[in-house]
Amino acid sequence: MAVCIAVIAKENYPLYIRSVPTENELKFHYTVHTSLDVVDEKISAMGKALVDQRELYLGLLYPTEDYKVYGYVTNSKVKFVMVVDSSNTALRDNEIRSMFRKLHNSYTDIMCNPFYNPGDRIQSRAFDTMVNSMMMQVC
Amino acid sequence: MSRSPGRKQENHKISRELFVLTYGALVAQLCKDYEKDEDVNACLDRMGYSIGIRLIDDFLARSAVKKCRSYSETADMIAQVAFKMYLGVTPSVSCSSATGNEFSLILDKNPLVDFVEELPAERASLCYCNLLCGVIRGALEMVHLAAEVSFLQDRLKGDAVTEIGITFLRKPEDRKHRRNK
Repeated sequence: MAVCIAVIAKENYPLYIRSVPTENELKFHYTVHTSLDVVDEKISAMGKALVDQRELYLGLLYPTEDYKVYGYVTNSKVKFVMVVDSSNTALRDNEIRSMFRKLHNSYTDIMCNPFYNPGDRIQSRAFDTMVNSMMMQVC
Repeated sequence: MSRSPGRKQENHKISRELFVLTYGALVAQLCKDYEKDEDVNACLDRMGYSIGIRLIDDFLARSAVKKCRSYSETADMIAQVAFKMYLGVTPSVSCSSATGNEFSLILDKNPLVDFVEELPAERASLCYCNLLCGVIRGALEMVHLAAEVSFLQDRLKGDAVTEIGITFLRKPEDRKHRRNK
């Protein structure tokens, strides 16, 4: 279960950020922002390699003492960043990958909406529902 | 003849997503061009009308249906044959007036709105699929059945189902087309 999920546009501004409400949201915004550097580093390291499903998923970007940050970049250079709780060790790589795949699918559905202009903030109920299902259940 | 006799009538399939996205782009562009929802709706209706007057010939050629004897037969034909042929869905028909002039087609699945979640806030009275109304109106007019077609309910506006209402206006002077038996 994620603690914070963010969708970042190609130009590195956020299209969507949602975090577990009890925590200090600013801290998560900061974490996501700093993780963008790591993402850029990984993208440039890939170079001209063929982009396939494995390389869309960037894996663990960097661990902090409380959290682990995972990244995923699409072919159109839209980045998904997910922050998960470090204490939640039950989360395996496959699960993170499948969460990113679900995010990617929902994102493509939003892109297909004719009233959505690429580059706008994401304001979709279906996307919110899907993200909520992935966030930690905090009462 | 425009077609060579040996060639079978092929069903050229294109991608459904392409069609739905094209329609969406059309509506989105109309929304940018016109400020008022009524103008967009009217424009979609006009476009649908010009499609309908042409589509009817294709429909009659491909389905080879017999002449409908009553309005309810016509409505059934539209729902079960035409919608199935062109959109792949079969709405259910209900007659909503005692005189037998008004029918409604209830669509529980509308492929055109696959990707549209809800209408944007400033376009609350947009009839997204108004093109369909124009198509039906145009097609009926070419078989000499004047009708008014409009959306009675729309899922995009929050109703439970999407309902298209067809009201047959009185036929112009009844000319009997009896075949010589």
